[in-house]
Amino acid sequence: MHDDLDPAEFEDTARAVMASCAGAADVPARARLLGEAGLLGVLAPQATGGLDLPLRYAVPVCRTGGQALLGFPLIETLLLARLLADESPDLATGLVAGETLATIAWTGVVEDEIVGGAPVARVADYVLCFRRDGGALLLETAACTDLDETLSIDVDTPDAALRPGAAQVAQLDVAAVARLRADAKILRAACVHGSAAQCLELAVEHAQGRVQFGRPLSAYQALRHRLSRDALAVETMRNALVRALSEPAEGPAFARDAAWLGAAQAGPGVAESAIQVLGGMGFTWEVPLHRHLRQMRTQAVLGAAVEGLDDLAAHLLNGSNSPWNGDFHHVA
Amino acid sequence: MTASSALQTAPSGRSHAAHARDWLAENLKGRLRIDRAHEIPVTLQELVDFEVGMHAAGLAGITWPRAYAGHGLTLREHLEINREIGLAPVPNSVNSIGKELAGPIILAICNETQKAEYLPAILKMQAIWCQGFSEPGAGSDLAGLRTRAERTADGWRINGQKIWTSGASKSQRCLLLARTGTAEDRHKGLVLFAVRMDTPGLEVREIRSIDGHRHFCEVFFNDVIVDEADMLGAPDEGWAAATRVLSIERATNRMYRSWRFQSELEHLIDACRTDARAMALLTPYSRQLAQIRVEVELLKGHVETLVETLLSGGQIGPRGSFPKLYWSESHQRFAQIGWEIVSRFPPGVDGPLRDIRARMEAVYFASRAETIYAGTTEIQLDIIAGRILKLQKAA
Repeated sequence: MHDDLDPAEFEDTARAVMASCAGAADVPARARLLGEAGLLGVLAPQATGGLDLPLRYAVPVCRTGGQALLGFPLIETLLLARLLADESPDLATGLVAGETLATIAWTGVVEDEIVGGAPVARVADYVLCFRRDGGALLLETAACTDLDETLSIDVDTPDAALRPGAAQVAQLDVAAVARLRADAKILRAACVHGSAAQCLELAVEHAQGRVQFGRPLSAYQALRHRLSRDALAVETMRNALVRALSEPAEGPAFARDAAWLGAAQAGPGVAESAIQVLGGMGFTWEVPLHRHLRQMRTQAVLGAAVEGLDDLAAHLLNGSNSPWNGDFHHVA
Repeated sequence: MTASSALQTAPSGRSHAAHARDWLAENLKGRLRIDRAHEIPVTLQELVDFEVGMHAAGLAGITWPRAYAGHGLTLREHLEINREIGLAPVPNSVNSIGKELAGPIILAICNETQKAEYLPAILKMQAIWCQGFSEPGAGSDLAGLRTRAERTADGWRINGQKIWTSGASKSQRCLLLARTGTAEDRHKGLVLFAVRMDTPGLEVREIRSIDGHRHFCEVFFNDVIVDEADMLGAPDEGWAAATRVLSIERATNRMYRSWRFQSELEHLIDACRTDARAMALLTPYSRQLAQIRVEVELLKGHVETLVETLLSGGQIGPRGSFPKLYWSESHQRFAQIGWEIVSRFPPGVDGPLRDIRARMEAVYFASRAETIYAGTTEIQLDIIAGRILKLQKAA
């Protein structure tokens, strides 16, 4: 019933809401603003107050969130509101409205008695923790202990490690977790795309405004070419997302992995390049480029980008199914 | 039987991809395969015959109108079929200038008589074309070209020199860019011709390139007389239209590249898997190869997004620079890694290892040209900076 909605219009709406969130005092205040605007329920069923839209509508929300350094567990809320709607409808309704806060501990498993990579766990009511068997448990954060976010490098959305407590609220099966992880790759790639695009924009703006030796920095070919390469990186992320959300001939799984692994690899590079373009200013705490760099580097860790590349490497070494190599005799 | 009824296309109910796959499995054999080291190299005639077959089977001329021996399909089917061409070890066309440069320009700017004369001959491989654009003094800066075209009583007299004219010594026609005025006119007075390569006064000299081949040529024009009928479009107008075609072609030509790139990577790994010693050389590169494999998928994202843009009636404009830049540099990185692996195979290897060694050597040297031709990397970066980012050069 929402087929007439345009994801691009969503992007404009989302950008305006993100701008209003910049003035909000804390995570709960941002939750209420996002909830009131309906952005947290993009994927959730209508029974929870959500819009029940396909994943591609959540992409502009995460992209603008990344661009704005939102300081909110956006990916986690969007996905949990949909996932928990059947088992815990009240909780999902609270997430959609922005009255309840939940997050996901992306690293580690419950069995190890410590999990990590849980954005804003310090203020979240619930935290989803993965299990070794591929399922997951939703726990009350209040019952968890030793919450520690001192190792987080993300200053806007600090992630925490914690010891899972016994207060279990809901349980997710292996299939639900697999879908959660797959969808998170897309939304994470969108967040990084927004973040990198913003860094490029700041660098371009600076290069055109800053005059040295009588010419703007943008007149110098070394900087023009650097910025062109960054534009290529950003455009590559955009097109990879478009492809992953279409129906690629080779199936969606690898296109999705590539969109995520590509963004995780190239995104921080765009921030690093922008820091170089801004020179001394780029190295200051005040200029937000380091916050984008921190956000993207953190996303790469939470999304297990290096592990994903190694998994792909192991898969590649098992050989292809190309019929043209079918007569090769493989050694063990 | 008419020409078009002799053409086979995908039978109803079967996908174009399945048809292409089956045809290639049946017809791509022996010395035609580029994934095998051959004692005796494939001949030009064998390549021409194969391309005649590809066209008849519906694997070439896919988007050209049926009236000119094309198959009348869209870029979507072109993409679908080119995926299969890429995944198979199909030799690059010896008439890619005809099929992917001259043909689209002819379709855009020529009159009916010219289209009927030139276009079917390209697809039927009766006329191989070469591209006479670059000159010793006009490489990336084409507006600096000096080859003169002067009007005569019944046509044009051409004088000048072209260089880097790939395949000129095997061609029947040259897509020639010349000027009616002087070099100071820059972009004014440029005119396109379809010059017969056997015209008196036209001389071709081959240049040996770093891969050992002699595809490159110099072409000299000494009072070469060209019929008025072989001028493509009017002076100025023809070139203006051609540049619009060129911006699309940069993004769409050899559309199979991403899939060919994938097949080269898979060939390298599959071949190494036949020998524990080769596998020991390959394994330390596994994360880099995974990164390359990701880049191949991202390249597909560029290509497929541009195809969708064109299919929905949108403009590509300077965005054709993105896939060109991305592919050429990624492919060079792959070629370097591949060469580092195969160059250390133990002496005397045979079979799949000998084949992949020969292929990677060819890919490595050929890839050095990929950041030079069709607009160098530096030109692509300038295009992105100026036309996409719109970076100012003065305060």
